[in-house]
Amino acid sequence: MNQNGDTAQESPVSLQRNQQEVLLTFPPPPSEETIDDWGELWQNLKHRLNGSERFWESGAFVCIQARDRLFDSSKLSAIAQALAEVGLTLHCVETTRRQTAVAAATAGYSVRQPSPTTPLTRSSPTQQFKQQEPLYLKNTIRSGTEVRHEGTIILVGDVNPGGAVMAYGDIIIWGRLRGLAHAGLKGDRACRILSLQLQATQLRIADVVARTPSTHPAQLQPEIAYIAADGIRITQGLDFLKTYHFVSEKQFWQERSF
Amino acid sequence: MSRIIVITSGKGGVGKTTTTANIGSALARSGKSVAVIDADFGLRNLDLLLGLENRVVYTAIDVINGECRLEQALVKDKRQPRLVLLPAAQSRGKESITREQMKEIVTRLSAKFDYVIIDSPAGIEMGFQNAIAPASEALIVTTPEVAAVRDADRVIGLLEANSINNIKLIVNRVKPEMIKADEMMSVDDILEILAIPLIGIIPDNQKVILSSNRGEPLVLDEKLSTPGVTLKNIARRLNGEDVPFVDLMASQENFLNRLRRWFTEPSR
Repeated sequence: MNQNGDTAQESPVSLQRNQQEVLLTFPPPPSEETIDDWGELWQNLKHRLNGSERFWESGAFVCIQARDRLFDSSKLSAIAQALAEVGLTLHCVETTRRQTAVAAATAGYSVRQPSPTTPLTRSSPTQQFKQQEPLYLKNTIRSGTEVRHEGTIILVGDVNPGGAVMAYGDIIIWGRLRGLAHAGLKGDRACRILSLQLQATQLRIADVVARTPSTHPAQLQPEIAYIAADGIRITQGLDFLKTYHFVSEKQFWQERSF
Repeated sequence: MSRIIVITSGKGGVGKTTTTANIGSALARSGKSVAVIDADFGLRNLDLLLGLENRVVYTAIDVINGECRLEQALVKDKRQPRLVLLPAAQSRGKESITREQMKEIVTRLSAKFDYVIIDSPAGIEMGFQNAIAPASEALIVTTPEVAAVRDADRVIGLLEANSINNIKLIVNRVKPEMIKADEMMSVDDILEILAIPLIGIIPDNQKVILSSNRGEPLVLDEKLSTPGVTLKNIARRLNGEDVPFVDLMASQENFLNRLRRWFTEPSR
């Protein structure tokens, strides 16, 4: 799984509100047809379904945006079952791929086929929006799992060593951060990483990388990581906004002078 | 309805097969009918640990290929009449069996046994995927080492993605004296990361190696050793008994204290 934050441009699997239905968006398929990323995709899907805030009513309709991915009937029924486990009903499949459309129609789902030229604007930030709505997750990010989001991530749970959280915006963790966190993935240096216990293996904000000290203070308290004049700094979480402000000309956080 | 439990770890060499052999034997001894399945195709070991190597005639592959009936491939344990082993093929690779075939074999076994225990291979590839496919419960074996815990964490994530949510933890090879000297991760440290319920703590002991080499599971000893007791306790907890954990740290303390008393108070 990628931890560099460069290759995969979009979050693995996303779940969004869209008027009357829930939109489940899959990433574009790997460029080489021979690569089978189903296993990874499946883990991402289950993780997102189980950890997501249940913003839907039981039985809510889901529309899958499969793009030009190939989903055969067994994969579609696996997805439908995973959705049913969290109270969602697979209702329609939107795809540009004929085989997927045929499989979906055979299984009795309604099929939407946008013309391949129509950009899928819903899933990626448009010109008007720099970021999407925050992503709220309630589970543990275990080793090997990577969460990406084109916005701020709020996580109630731990990030274990080997796990990674990547966000275009801030990262707020109500738990222990022991893996990797990358805030401001698109270069926003004002982004911060907040955690109840900050023991990350590595911290990244925008284009800056930092290792955390190998010795940790005996008494861990909520801390905040931000970009200062000389790189990423960690300070006590309390009163941060009272004592620091972001200097946009210099592109880093500075202590207020009273 | 029988219980289908996979024993897995991610990292190799942490004691999956030893644990499977012992838990299987202990459950059989407690009166349950048990089938243990060696899912480590190409690197089979479970028959050795149970001392059944010379009784293996057919393997799971022969059942799949229709060369024998399932009942013919099952090796009855020489000590426990209620325990059977379904051996893996030694000569074939892990790709010689599919998830569906694995599921079918386990479904057929589950009709006849109280417990079906699957010994998973190390890693998270094909062999592991096959081993977890039919399971509804999992026991994760780890040792107090950073790499083993990291792999266990990854495996828990994969199990959860496969809708196996009944996952319990076994910490193997615990050395109380090293934990006491702060040279080893404690069980609490491990639980803090993995955050799953604990079902057993097994101390490091030379007797484990001895019993493996002899093909005599520790839980069947006349006079149980400490690792034997802790392994048997895991089986009892699986059966729903409420068994308190053996306090390994306390025995360490007592032993040290006793020694200290010997040396410091000789006149008494």
